[in-house]
Amino acid sequence: MLRAPMFRALVLAQLPSRAGILFTTSRMQSNAPAKAPEKIEVFIDDQPVMVAPGTTVLQAAAQVGVEIPRFCYHERLAVAGNCRMCLVEVEKSPKPVAACAMPVMKGWRIKTNSDMTRKAREGVMEFLLSNHPLDCPICDQGGECDLQDQAMAFGSDRSRFTDINHAGKRAVEDKDIGPLVKTIMTRCIHCTRCIRFASEVAGVDDLGTTGRGNEMQVGMYVEKLFLTELSGNVIDLCPVGALTNKPYSFVARPWEIRKVDSIDVLDALGSNIVVSTRTGEVLRILPRENEDINEEWLSDKSRFACDGLKRQRLITPMLRKPDGEFEAVEWESALITAAQAIRNAPKDKIAAVAGSLVDAEQLVAVKDLLNRLGSELLCTEQKFPTADGTSGTDLRSNYLLNSSIASCEDADLVLLVGTNPRYEAPLLNTRLRKGYVHKEQDIAYIGPEVDLSYRYEYLGNRSLTIEDIAKGKHPFAQRLKQAKRPLIIVGANALARNDGKAYIAALQSFARQLKPEDKNWKVWNVLQTNASQVAALDVGYKPGVEEVLAAQPKVLFLLGADGNAVNKENIPKDCFVIYQGHHGDQGAQLAHAILPGAAYTEKQGTYVNTEGRAQQTLVAVSPPGMAREDWKIIRALSEVVGTVLPYDTLDELRNRMEDIAPHLVRYGHLEENNFYAQAEQLIKTQASSFQGDVDVNQKSLEDFFMTDSITRASPTMAKCVAAVKKAQATG
Amino acid sequence: MMASLIRRLPKASTSFKWIHSTSAVYADDPLKHKEAPIVENDVILSDQEVKEREKLSHLISLPKEKTLAPISGVPEEHVKTRRVRIYVPPKNAMQSGTHNIQRWRMEFDNRERWENPLMGWASSGDPLSNMNVDFNSKDEAIEHCEKNGWKWFIASEDKPKKERVKNYGVNFSWDKRTRVSTK
Amino acid sequence: MANVLVRVNSAPKQQLAASLLPLFKNIQIRSNSAQVSTPPPQTKTKFGGLADQDRVFTNLYGRHDWRLKGAMKRGDWYKTKEILEKGVDWILNEIKASGLRGRGGAGFPSGMKWSFMNKPSDGRPKYLVVNADEGEPGTCKDREIMRHDPHKLIEGCLIAGRAMGARAAYIYIRGEFYNEASNMQLAIAEAYQAGLLGKNACNSGYDFDVFMHRGAGAYICGEETALIESLEGKQGKPRLKPPFPADVGVFGCPTTVANVETVAVAPTICRRGGVWFASFGRTRNSGTKLFNISGHVNNPCTVEEEMSIPLKELIERHCGGVRGGWDNLLGIIPGGSSTPIIPKDVCAEALMDFDGLVACQTSLGTAAIIVMDKSTDVIKAIARLIAFYKHESCGQCTPCREGVSWMNKIMTRFVSGNARPDEIDMLWEVSKQIEGHSICALGDGAAWPVQGLIRHFRPVIEQRMQDFEKRQEATN
Repeated sequence: MLRAPMFRALVLAQLPSRAGILFTTSRMQSNAPAKAPEKIEVFIDDQPVMVAPGTTVLQAAAQVGVEIPRFCYHERLAVAGNCRMCLVEVEKSPKPVAACAMPVMKGWRIKTNSDMTRKAREGVMEFLLSNHPLDCPICDQGGECDLQDQAMAFGSDRSRFTDINHAGKRAVEDKDIGPLVKTIMTRCIHCTRCIRFASEVAGVDDLGTTGRGNEMQVGMYVEKLFLTELSGNVIDLCPVGALTNKPYSFVARPWEIRKVDSIDVLDALGSNIVVSTRTGEVLRILPRENEDINEEWLSDKSRFACDGLKRQRLITPMLRKPDGEFEAVEWESALITAAQAIRNAPKDKIAAVAGSLVDAEQLVAVKDLLNRLGSELLCTEQKFPTADGTSGTDLRSNYLLNSSIASCEDADLVLLVGTNPRYEAPLLNTRLRKGYVHKEQDIAYIGPEVDLSYRYEYLGNRSLTIEDIAKGKHPFAQRLKQAKRPLIIVGANALARNDGKAYIAALQSFARQLKPEDKNWKVWNVLQTNASQVAALDVGYKPGVEEVLAAQPKVLFLLGADGNAVNKENIPKDCFVIYQGHHGDQGAQLAHAILPGAAYTEKQGTYVNTEGRAQQTLVAVSPPGMAREDWKIIRALSEVVGTVLPYDTLDELRNRMEDIAPHLVRYGHLEENNFYAQAEQLIKTQASSFQGDVDVNQKSLEDFFMTDSITRASPTMAKCVAAVKKAQATG
Repeated sequence: MMASLIRRLPKASTSFKWIHSTSAVYADDPLKHKEAPIVENDVILSDQEVKEREKLSHLISLPKEKTLAPISGVPEEHVKTRRVRIYVPPKNAMQSGTHNIQRWRMEFDNRERWENPLMGWASSGDPLSNMNVDFNSKDEAIEHCEKNGWKWFIASEDKPKKERVKNYGVNFSWDKRTRVSTK
Repeated sequence: MANVLVRVNSAPKQQLAASLLPLFKNIQIRSNSAQVSTPPPQTKTKFGGLADQDRVFTNLYGRHDWRLKGAMKRGDWYKTKEILEKGVDWILNEIKASGLRGRGGAGFPSGMKWSFMNKPSDGRPKYLVVNADEGEPGTCKDREIMRHDPHKLIEGCLIAGRAMGARAAYIYIRGEFYNEASNMQLAIAEAYQAGLLGKNACNSGYDFDVFMHRGAGAYICGEETALIESLEGKQGKPRLKPPFPADVGVFGCPTTVANVETVAVAPTICRRGGVWFASFGRTRNSGTKLFNISGHVNNPCTVEEEMSIPLKELIERHCGGVRGGWDNLLGIIPGGSSTPIIPKDVCAEALMDFDGLVACQTSLGTAAIIVMDKSTDVIKAIARLIAFYKHESCGQCTPCREGVSWMNKIMTRFVSGNARPDEIDMLWEVSKQIEGHSICALGDGAAWPVQGLIRHFRPVIEQRMQDFEKRQEATN
């Protein structure tokens, strides 16, 4: 949150430090002697450091800020120990040891910069380069290549590979593994990071090595595609240019791009990203490390859909002519036309529908405007069974992933209902897979049979199963009751059904009955699918369009509502539709006036993710053409309408947001939720009955790529869908 | 000009003493010395200068609040309307090195850029677009922003890095799912 | 007769029978020879000329029946139950007293290695894995045991397995050893039928299984951790150590990997006593050993001899000497292809044991002696070995994958002489960059032959280069 300078400085500089001191001293007095873990002392370059037993040499060195070079080691993957770049000398050991795999022993004196260490590194470096093509000038990794950097830092200053004149270097055929990852396998240094990522994190055991010795190759053995929703991460992991970004190939060099930290909005997790831009164009998107959300990974949709930001954009305000065609106009006439429609409409017949990509600023501005005009007809596209059917206000714990994304991996028993996390929230799925692989987590699933990349207990797809579990009749209910850290994750789409209320009532009251070991453990979790949904519900939008449409509005704001909830059939006939958004997609076709807005890379906007964590995007590029930041459009419109909104700057708007819901501006923090009991009570009073089977929207990989206006405009995503379909057709 | 000459008068008297005393040295054998002799500065200081210097030998107290904004010459537009983001640069996902990210950095909000019609380079009307300053700590960055009167916000948390247990043996574990079958 | 060793396939039949007779008489269990944990001080000065009654492998040449009946005739499975009943400590003590060192190449004291397994159990079963993936060029000792004396190995598995509390033994046999695998499998079946293996093996109350697994033909699978990986059904790529197999081995359980010969001599040591075994060879190098002599000798053979026998005596006594006489000798690779070559003058002094060959800057390895006379193109010979290692490198770790193939490229040029003299130093450095930097010992094993070549035959290489240059100049 932005503050007036002096005030913030005082708070920040003083409070935490004092609190910190207090905390540490009290802990030292009470806990420290009782359960001090037995640490052992080792010496890194004669610098003593206390580490837990079992710590590797590389980790111990990192603790004192000594970074040991590595290729195969990655902290989120299993240790392989095969690149030998991390060899370091340990005193009294005749051979250098591999720092990444060797646990330290008490009193070891590790020398990370001795002659032996440097010779070992130089030797390994020379070997790696002896078969590396050294085509850096035409390599996309050039400039951000670990091999380049480490060759500079640790390699020899000259080559003695005279055999280049005789036998030459190894060459390896490239492989076609899909439309996202380009392979130049001659550059491969066989670190096996991609193989480990695929088998451990993505859960797709496709990659592997074939052949041996110098003829060893990384690949699939048979010609096939690398079909996973996380394939882009192997590009990041590859320390050389063997696996590169296909859509980004030969586009830019790392030193000519600007990087802006931002948030992904294509699913409801709010993965942290870095947007790389050059001259007002988003070139690529990379993940940004955030231990609480996406770790270091990013789903393919979030990473590769950025070319959709350049296509199908609304770059100028438009008005529909009487003949039904759109006409590009100046802002002035667009705003006046829209304002006229608003002024002419009855006060309570002005409505707004928020789509899946709307930021909280716009939601608040539109709500303020409509409320000031006298209307309460505000809703989101996606339905959700609210606790209180009439007012639209709801208790947060109802619709959030309460236990937080990060602690999903700590659960010991998970029940997934009507959600396919693999495609609805790929990085939540990697959490679950992580729990499955590393923490012996068991997972059960209700819904149509899908491949979740790990083994799960399939409980069928009948809604009655949910009822049985909720009533304790199902054997699985017993297991949940015995579990120490049970987790029930329900998909937002499952709750968007007509009988969603029955789901939520049954499962939530069952969740309340469970007694997890830790009192603060949250059992009840909803996995949202839209980035805007939580913020919209937080500021008081009603979920679902039925009620709003039933009120027969005369003016309807579509805020990027492209999800087909509002369509030609259900829209009132004489309604003036104002579409505000960034893509000419389904919503824009209904519009009478189009106000071009900014996409998530073009504005500083607040998004609240499915666990209720507010994060903000930053301006990476400016909106194209005459498009403007969305809240500013509403602010301008309010001026023309004559009901002026009381904020001129983003800071003022955010102060207003803070008044409505303080958590909206506490960026990065996760607020504790409570009122579980009350939520349950409210829900219970209006339970309905179950109907039909449990279903999920995204069943296989082809359903994953195109889910909103940005991804539908992306040629890369279209290629992915085509490739997956083709791969499935050919077997 | 006159005034300055007059002010120097007392100094002249001391320098006279000095000339007098050193001339005796030179009188010895001026040719023996290839360089001019090193003389203590004190002798050439005026009384006032001596007083000023004495003041400097004690602790100096400065006013607590400093604002450079009025005197830095930065146009008011770029002081009042800009927002500074103070953050820890994220690790480049493409690389494993971390040496360039253990610092705090300030950066101004991004403004419009366009392609230069002549050369195709990126142009910007923003003089502060390339002003990234690195700091050792968050507090230094904040202080710097305060001094310049910029609005700032902190965009990174300095959370301690999560400790991981890395164990090569689990790859071959007999009863865990970490067992690796693919190579 | 007593001290004259007879190589069986060249000896007359009567002589053979006479030489073997006292052997049978001699086999008895000497139970009171235990409780010796330190080897006796060195008193013997002359080694070699192993007496027939002191041979462990009495059917090395397949002259007799290899099946259970024949094996029992030769003393195998004799009172195995009693040995087992003496308990773990007694067996380990005998092995320690015998000074037996691993026969697979590294020469780690077996008694100590086996005792590592006797940590308190954490619920995991323990396994004995027998490394029968004999792939080292020049080595042909384990196959003789397996096809002619399989019961020695099976009994060894039982005793060694008992000593380490193993649940089962896996014999990982080289895939190419078809007949050996077939004989082994039959022998195992016989042992099961006779109640010597399986539940209550030999009526000792101890349950023990022996399984045989045939490899698929990769030299690297002879490395113990690669062998474990291969046994688990994965690519045979070595693991890093730690964790050592005694902690995390096959199927994640404590495992000891031992060579066939090591395991096969264990029963005899237990019967005749550790002291008997320790009486052969020098201190810390004690015992008898199978030597395989191949190459330019008059009678290439595999023979059991006393450790520490002088190399020259070994060749002259058993192989009829070097082809064309000792003076025609160029050099000898004394321990299988991965050990450095030693030239003739060093050969004359070398003692065939672990320490004796280390003193000559080489190694006993598997005691596979490759003799080369002066007709040999030594550069080409070593180049051929490097080509072998290049082909067999698993490709997992960088120094071995890239380094060995680079050495191969250089060596190929050295054969024709198409190189500069300073590349010899470069090759030396490259070999040093591989040695000690790779995950397993294959990198070392590939580097050593090159180092041996450069150490002793540098002038030959330089001469070759000069000749090549002259030829080039002549053609230009």
